[in-house]
Amino acid sequence: MDTRQLILDTANKIFTDHCDKKLLDAAETGEFASELWGQVTENGFDQLGSAGSGTELADMFAFVQQCGHHAVPLPLAETLLVNFWCGPQEGLSSFGELSGDRIDDVAWGRQAQRVVGIGVEGSTLTVVETPEVIGRGTNMAGEARDQVSVGSDATTVEATEDPYAMAALTRVNLLAGGLHRVLDLGLLFATERVQFGRTISKFQAIQHSLAIVAAEVAAAQRAADAAVDAIGTDRFVYEVAAGKARVGEAVGVVAEQVHQIHGAMGFTHEHSLHHYTRRVWAWRDEWGNEFYWQALLGNHLASLGADNSWDFIATRG
Amino acid sequence: MLQFDRVSLDESTDALRAEVREFLGENQMHFPHPNSDFVTGHDPEFSRKLGEKGWIGMTWPTEYGGAERTFFERYVVTEEIVAAGAPVSAHWIADRQSGPLLLRYGTEEQRKTYLPLITRGEAFFSIGMSEPDTGSDLASVRTTATREGDAYRVNGTKIWTTDAHRNHYIICLVRTEPPGDNRHAGMSQIIIDLKNDDVQVRPIANMAGGEDFNEVVFEDVLVPADRIVGEPGNGWEQVTSELSYERSGPERFLSAFRVFVELVRACGENPAPHQAAAIGQIAAHLMTMRRMSISVAGMLEQSKDVAVEAALVKELGNNFEKVLPEIARLAVPSGPEAAAFRSTFEETLLLSPSFTLRGGTREILRGVIARGLGLR
Repeated sequence: MDTRQLILDTANKIFTDHCDKKLLDAAETGEFASELWGQVTENGFDQLGSAGSGTELADMFAFVQQCGHHAVPLPLAETLLVNFWCGPQEGLSSFGELSGDRIDDVAWGRQAQRVVGIGVEGSTLTVVETPEVIGRGTNMAGEARDQVSVGSDATTVEATEDPYAMAALTRVNLLAGGLHRVLDLGLLFATERVQFGRTISKFQAIQHSLAIVAAEVAAAQRAADAAVDAIGTDRFVYEVAAGKARVGEAVGVVAEQVHQIHGAMGFTHEHSLHHYTRRVWAWRDEWGNEFYWQALLGNHLASLGADNSWDFIATRG
Repeated sequence: MLQFDRVSLDESTDALRAEVREFLGENQMHFPHPNSDFVTGHDPEFSRKLGEKGWIGMTWPTEYGGAERTFFERYVVTEEIVAAGAPVSAHWIADRQSGPLLLRYGTEEQRKTYLPLITRGEAFFSIGMSEPDTGSDLASVRTTATREGDAYRVNGTKIWTTDAHRNHYIICLVRTEPPGDNRHAGMSQIIIDLKNDDVQVRPIANMAGGEDFNEVVFEDVLVPADRIVGEPGNGWEQVTSELSYERSGPERFLSAFRVFVELVRACGENPAPHQAAAIGQIAAHLMTMRRMSISVAGMLEQSKDVAVEAALVKELGNNFEKVLPEIARLAVPSGPEAAAFRSTFEETLLLSPSFTLRGGTREILRGVIARGLGLR
């Protein structure tokens, strides 16, 4: 078995055991999942992709997809990327968007021992050690998103790849995994719920709805993988743009259709569907929504000109 | 089935792509008005030129005139030609569908007779599946082929038959046995010469002003018995498998591509934010579907069953072909400077209802996907 598959299988087992509704509910009220964090670090899953870990960024992003699939209530994508950029260290690292002397929307900033601020432009990262949290908040999925101040002792690090696009790529992969989970829940519900004397999966309307969802999920998966494969190439930012735009568009369709299939049950707090749908709704707006990335990609195509647009699309990779 | 493998095209395809582009550049006179809808341009001379290049039936064995190229190489050639908007309708069905059908199910004599002609761009085929009372429910075909000595007597009507008035042959799904308990049994496919005097071809004008499809009537048409594709009674298996070949190619998401090109042109070098977003939105979809289509080419190369994956590509692709003009139109202001855009847009919009009908309707494809999901 190759390394990546081993990582994914182990992670899947740990997350399946731990990331149940109880843990997700607790995390959404602000309780940090410290036991799960312990398991993750014990397995070295906070170092994937970093130098010396024996793994690559592609392994790391495959793991991030797995995190999305299980709605893991830890800022693992953030810790991993900061460890990659600034060198691995023990403890939780996170990142957010740099805004003057603040860093906004830092995932679990309150738990972080190191926070990186990422600007929309440029490749310079602002690094804050033992950060001071000046505001606490959450995204619409109840995931902690805090505000951190940038003090005079902040340092800088140069990133090799566009950091804003890298941050967006974490969301692309979380989304690919999360959307897959929403489809799985839709399939499970449709094949268990009985109405009119048969499972609702036997109704054509439900079958077509799930077919639409499956097509969107398959597209999201392919788009996410393509963006990861572009790391290190001169197309990287544009492939992330295409990925975030495409995957973000899938969110609306997938969440809407699968909620409809679940009926009122999926609208209850008791059902776990909303843990995944609220996350995909939240992630599509983090690190640039569809419009932002579509416009970035569109401006690039416009600069190439109409008669070169096909050549840009018809890439080998 | 939702895993579309990360497949990259080999570096060696670069030279082929460059060669196709050079060829297309030299043959611009064949398509003064480019259109990426594969049904719109019927140009036998252009098809023969492609045949000379070895770009028809290019994955087939050399003994039948093929070039034994990979499915990836075929993919590159087809996507370049379709994106450029060159006329491919004449040979398209023969290359994509009839040839592979004969290669897989035909008799040795049929392969030797028809495949080399197809690869030279000298034999064009039509599909005879739909009938006036048979649309998506293909098992309900009524056209009969009754054995009489060493011939079959064919009676019935086929409809929506693209290019039957210009092509050489039609492969018809017929009943060689009356329907019984198993409605998929007793069906066969038979190759009929469209130039046969007893075959009547009546044009049907479409709403876009085109006259590429037809009604084809067979009244006591005698067809030699050796024109049955492979074995009699094998028709159902044949049509279901050939329909999956035809569902994943670049023509399933590029039909409206020229609208995109004109959109980029109309928006200029410094588009407004909403214009840039429209361009980027379309590009993101095209880039993703293209990779999914290449993943399927990889599966074909490994001789895997692609029925569900191909249906997924067609579902996404055909729907997007219809959405593309809708996104584009809102981004381009009206006025004389947008004339080129309007012309391409209107032509494509008028063709667009056909995108989610041909090759299996959206509803049928969703059924195929649902079966793949284990729901049926």
